[in-house]
Amino acid sequence: MHPPEIGVWIAAFLTIACLTFLYKDNPFFRFAESLFAGVSLGYYVGIVLNQTLLPNLIAPMREHFGQNWDLVVPGLLGVLLYMRYAPKIGWVSRYALAIYVTYYIGLDFTRRIHGEVLPQLARAIQPLSSFDRATFFSLVYVLGVFSVLVYFFFSKEQGPITRRISRLGIWFLMISFGAAFGFTVMGRVALLIGRLNFLILDWIYPTLGI
Amino acid sequence: MAGLFERIVNLDRRWIFLIVLLSVATPIVIPIGLPVTTTGPTRAAFEFIEALHEGDVVLISFDYGPSSAPENDPMAEAVMRQCALKKLRFIVCALYPLGGLGLANNVVAKITGELPNLRDGVDYVNLGYKDGPAAVMRRMGDDIAGAFPTDVHGKPISEIPLMKGVHDLRQVKLVFTAATSLIGEWWITQVHPQVGIPVIIGPTAVSAPKYYAYLNSGQLVGMVGGMKGAAEYESLLRARYPQLATFYTTTRAFTATKGMDGQTVLHTVILLLLVLGNVAYLRQRRASAKARA
Amino acid sequence: MNLEFGRVTLVILFAIVPIVGFFLGLRAPALRSRIPIFVGVFAGLIPILSMYVPRKFIAGPTGMSPRLDQWLIILAGFALLLGIANVLQNNTRKISRREKGWPFSVVLLIGLFVTGGFGIYGGISGQGIGIAADGTPTPFQYVTNWFFQPLQSTIFSLLAFFMASAAFRAFRARNTEATILLVAAVLIMMGRVPLLELLAVPIPSLQPAAAFASQGLGKLTEWIMQTPNGAAQAGIIIGAALGAASMALRVILGIERGYLGLGKGD
Repeated sequence: MHPPEIGVWIAAFLTIACLTFLYKDNPFFRFAESLFAGVSLGYYVGIVLNQTLLPNLIAPMREHFGQNWDLVVPGLLGVLLYMRYAPKIGWVSRYALAIYVTYYIGLDFTRRIHGEVLPQLARAIQPLSSFDRATFFSLVYVLGVFSVLVYFFFSKEQGPITRRISRLGIWFLMISFGAAFGFTVMGRVALLIGRLNFLILDWIYPTLGI
Repeated sequence: MAGLFERIVNLDRRWIFLIVLLSVATPIVIPIGLPVTTTGPTRAAFEFIEALHEGDVVLISFDYGPSSAPENDPMAEAVMRQCALKKLRFIVCALYPLGGLGLANNVVAKITGELPNLRDGVDYVNLGYKDGPAAVMRRMGDDIAGAFPTDVHGKPISEIPLMKGVHDLRQVKLVFTAATSLIGEWWITQVHPQVGIPVIIGPTAVSAPKYYAYLNSGQLVGMVGGMKGAAEYESLLRARYPQLATFYTTTRAFTATKGMDGQTVLHTVILLLLVLGNVAYLRQRRASAKARA
Repeated sequence: MNLEFGRVTLVILFAIVPIVGFFLGLRAPALRSRIPIFVGVFAGLIPILSMYVPRKFIAGPTGMSPRLDQWLIILAGFALLLGIANVLQNNTRKISRREKGWPFSVVLLIGLFVTGGFGIYGGISGQGIGIAADGTPTPFQYVTNWFFQPLQSTIFSLLAFFMASAAFRAFRARNTEATILLVAAVLIMMGRVPLLELLAVPIPSLQPAAAFASQGLGKLTEWIMQTPNGAAQAGIIIGAALGAASMALRVILGIERGYLGLGKGD
């Protein structure tokens, strides 16, 4: 068994520094936290430059400017975004921001309608052509979808009937949130398992020669 | 007895942290080897890939970061191994900004190290990371090179043999997205309506409940949910490809199957804490009701 | 020079119009918000219209929409780095004024400059930021593997502890709804892991019964996830999607302007 390399020691020290927060806030944790913030931002610089700006903006203009002359515009718009930090002409960044936000919101609009509303409604509308277990469960499903939608309808005050349907919707939501809690426990624990696995099997054991 | 319950309920939370730490660490030191049962969504995902033919192209998207690597890494590795053994060609990309690229590079390096016959550019290609995932997906639907002009090493797409027959996502048979955030969902809600490509998602356990709605509506062909889903996938893979058993039985390599021991022990502990907390609460409520009466 | 209709139109809409708007805005401050909103309307409508209007000028290979997608990939890259300027400003101010915790600002900036520096070096040298052909990591990938990944993983793993503590202290069956939530959570937690098999480990004779019960529990769990949970999630998805879609239209049409830092009437 080889002793762990220096990178493993660094990772182990940083892992333990973060875990010390569980006892109480301390300078080791603050150090690790600040380093994390700095390294994350530096990571962004590295990936944006190497994976987006170089291959999608700089290289196409450098190699085939005639085909890609229009890429000057997104490049300048990108720089324009940073003008918001200039006190007198910060308002020019609104052009870049407006284009960026409204484009992605336009994509979001089509995604919501075609990817969420229509397919989910289609699933909720099922034929009652046979009376078997599948149809019964489909009815339960449909009841759940519509009672939840009635619960979320806030535009008008709810009457006695809609209040009862809302209550059923809340029960469906509670089952869903309970399930979500159960899954969340699994998700969070998995992260801890990964870290402890690293500390024990990749650092402690090799250090002790196990 | 009442005093004991009081003390338990008012326990310093750092004791609970210690209990949690010991519950997770113990099965790592003393493995139990609990069985893993498979569920419908994971089986559906596995069988869908099994039904693909040699030479078919699969896109594996790394839409997660180190914050969910213990859940998503095992499933990405398992799917990549399956693709390699079935001689499916796979395209790797990363759309999650905070760490997706690094993890994609590491997993590709790991799998190509295990299976050295895989040829870069012929059997697989790593396209790397790109910003603006929604725009990237939209572009890939019509022209992959429009979004990824080069692979991760800077080689132009036009010079990569695998990409010669793959102009856009319509020539890809499946998207597998290992995801921690909304980016995975966009493959389902944006790309699937756009080009009709089948999608399998490997979400973290935190977001898995939501994807049952997409499974029900047929927008997903399968789901590998969280570490449990990854463990199920590993067990299906081991059963179908016994030669992979070595990757899953060494004591050092982290696998989802091994992680399930810790999951089970901690679930037991948390259920115990829930029961204790609620018993103490009910006793308290009964006592105050008696006092009021 | 490639003068396809799509590219020329985009340049007119998103370069010429803003330039004109800039000069008009210097003279008339009211136009400093109106013209960006006007430009934004086109940026939002082009991807929507390309879906419903399958004409070459908008959705074809030389149309506006494909090229706009490529532009916005680049713009997203610039946007991702926007926060760095703010962080630099705040932390350099903290250091220069020797405010409380200023040494940690030094640590942050060192992390930023070293990692960013490796990234820039990778780009300029042509080495890249990944793993070389011989399997050795570049300096950037080394920092990613031994600093970035462990830090991010561990900070998020702290949630496991806080979640266990919160479950113990706060998760109470106070009323019918909370009880339903608690019962569902307990069933899911028991059904997703081989909990009964774990409890039967010290008693081998009970293991077959535990396995059988675990299978039944697993099937119940799957039904809960597919039917009641699936229904509730579908309802949430539909409701949230309708709300988001109407908000999207409001933003595109310029009714909602908060994202530009403008209030009502600005």
